[in-house]
Amino acid sequence: MKEPSDKKCYVRSMALVSCQKPLCDEWMDEPCPFESAYVRAQEPNSKEFIVPSEARRMSRILKRTVCTSLTALNEAGIHDPNAIITGTGMGCMENSEKFLIDMATFGENCLKPSLFMQSTHNTIGSLIGIVLKCHGYNNTYSHEGISFESALLDGFVQLKLGVIRNALIGSHDENTPFSALMFERIHPEYRVLTETSMSAVITTDSSNAICEVASVCILHGADIDEVASKLNANEDKMILLGVNDVKVNDNPYLELLAELSFKPVCLQYKNIFGDNFSSSAAGFYAAARIIERQTVPSFMLWRKDDDFTDKISGLTIVNRTEDSTWAIIRLKAV
Amino acid sequence: MKQKVYVTGAGIISAIGVGKEATLRSILNEASGVMPMSYLESEHSYLPVGEVKLSNAEMSHALNVSYPINELRTVLLGIFAAKEAVEEARLKAMDLRKAAFISGTTVGGMDKTERHFKSVFDANADTPDCKELKYNDCGYSSNLIADYLGNFQIVTTPSTACSSAANAIILGANLIKAGIVDIAVVGGSEALTKFHLNGFNSLMILDKERCRPFDKGRAGINLGEGAAYIVLESAQSVKNRGARVLAELIGYGNSCDAFHQTATSENGDGAYLAMRKALDMSHLNPDEIDYVNTHGTGTPNNDICELAAMERIWGAELPDFSSTKPFTGHTTSASGSIEAVICLLSIANGVRPKSIGVSISLKDDITPLTETKRDCSTKNVMNNSFGFGGNDSSLIFSEHEGTIG
Repeated sequence: MKEPSDKKCYVRSMALVSCQKPLCDEWMDEPCPFESAYVRAQEPNSKEFIVPSEARRMSRILKRTVCTSLTALNEAGIHDPNAIITGTGMGCMENSEKFLIDMATFGENCLKPSLFMQSTHNTIGSLIGIVLKCHGYNNTYSHEGISFESALLDGFVQLKLGVIRNALIGSHDENTPFSALMFERIHPEYRVLTETSMSAVITTDSSNAICEVASVCILHGADIDEVASKLNANEDKMILLGVNDVKVNDNPYLELLAELSFKPVCLQYKNIFGDNFSSSAAGFYAAARIIERQTVPSFMLWRKDDDFTDKISGLTIVNRTEDSTWAIIRLKAV
Repeated sequence: MKQKVYVTGAGIISAIGVGKEATLRSILNEASGVMPMSYLESEHSYLPVGEVKLSNAEMSHALNVSYPINELRTVLLGIFAAKEAVEEARLKAMDLRKAAFISGTTVGGMDKTERHFKSVFDANADTPDCKELKYNDCGYSSNLIADYLGNFQIVTTPSTACSSAANAIILGANLIKAGIVDIAVVGGSEALTKFHLNGFNSLMILDKERCRPFDKGRAGINLGEGAAYIVLESAQSVKNRGARVLAELIGYGNSCDAFHQTATSENGDGAYLAMRKALDMSHLNPDEIDYVNTHGTGTPNNDICELAAMERIWGAELPDFSSTKPFTGHTTSASGSIEAVICLLSIANGVRPKSIGVSISLKDDITPLTETKRDCSTKNVMNNSFGFGGNDSSLIFSEHEGTIG
């Protein structure tokens, strides 16, 4: 039997719904600009994936999740994944909000069970289980801005341990006009509030891999020194940062860069995909595509004077949440 | 070599007491904590619930905590239980930086959200005062509990409804086996809220009397609240710290029923597979399981399907089993760890709790424990937790006293 550490984690396929054109990579050539501080996702054509009678019963986030999940699975040629692991910071926000409004308006009688049934965080991940009739491992993480990283870490560890050979990993968050007002007031570190649904298939098998996930590291309440100590000139020549042009958000990243003994090429993704609890999943998607295509769209270069000519051998994603949790995901070319 | 995962600390708070000692006493005295509603304010005050018999103010005072923790019941409950677990394991500040805190919850700070939501929503839709809604999501609840204890390396939150805490235990064990951390404080916390009380009520699955899992006349759930955590640790860390081992986590399984968002499949496919995976990992024969703490919610659907799944494992001869939900109420996201700690008490004290409220068994030939078994050597114990969406998990703990050399 192989030792756990022999097994590697590869990204086989991915699909993304965001404020950019859905389920494709047009954003790499022609990104849609933000027109306000709250931008909803561009909806995918769910008819290709869900029969209308079922779609009518699903909220937007559920439809998006089915679309990204099935797209990623189809591309990977895997229809019964060993695991379905989902991140979502707020779960089914729209239905939770409606239930709360009904309770505040009409009191505690005559509440609709359908809203409650589709308001829980794990409604999203279990829906995919139900759609696929997949009895594999199924788990959901709801931990603010590291929900995606938590889901990825779970899958990564199980691949390494040899418990599973593949997994559908995703992160999904929706917003509403009300939550947009709420976020504007309680998350001053956000610039443009968006929505994200991202699904990816990870496997131990390297065939047709987009890239390798070499490491996943979560550091809760970390100081800059500790984060800097996890990065090195050899492996982290190019890094993708969660910067968004808001001072309170960007300052810790600047402090980190000042602490490093080397000067990496710095990329950004929030200028294209905005902020929400799952937006780092869009960052992951962008990073993997950059490695796959060996090209960096010019608008993703954070410092315009950064230059690189070498092959992109890897890209390290560095995100920080408001409570100074840092997540470092190291992707490598295959 | 197969990595082992040991339990070196446990803490609990629920309707039947604060701490392990009080919990054990209530189980031995067969004293249920399900009572008329007295802390939660709801129009459905006729529904019996398993409340922790302390107000937020009393808990805040005891823990010496202030805003916003004093307004967040899930966090207060979590701190009580996690503190007991960490103290029993004698974890020091430096141990925590190589440790994970994984805390299941679904409700999070919903109690505070629902108290403030109306004013926020009504006041002025253009400029609502939202700051009271900050810190109310699931993840932030876990952060507040973790940060009270110390500086953990990883803090995250599984949220799979009623199996959240069991899934926290599974992630913790996997992180230890993969060498990501040496120690994981794992479990869950959930306060009663109007939101989920009304949600379950809208599904018409709340019993107006004390719940009677596995009884023919069972009519649903009593909701409860509480928190529990256990400290998981690698063999190396146990040795290095000279820690005292309470038990070994020898098996676990997670499987999706993949049937319906709020109902269980007739044959209990997810439940069966979760138990099967846990048994396979443990390398135990089914007949080596001494006691099963079932999910046993008391709904007509859950109990019959769980029994069907158990019969697929054990055939007609089921091991001793009971539901402790008539003691604590259904503590939803915390139930996985609350019942895991009850399982640890069962191993340590040779106690197998009775299933309260069974007058006529739901199946003629299959009866849960109707008497508390005392002084009854209990080596291997299984704990089932099944969540909405068919997120089913099963854990197996095994006796292991003392240190390891």
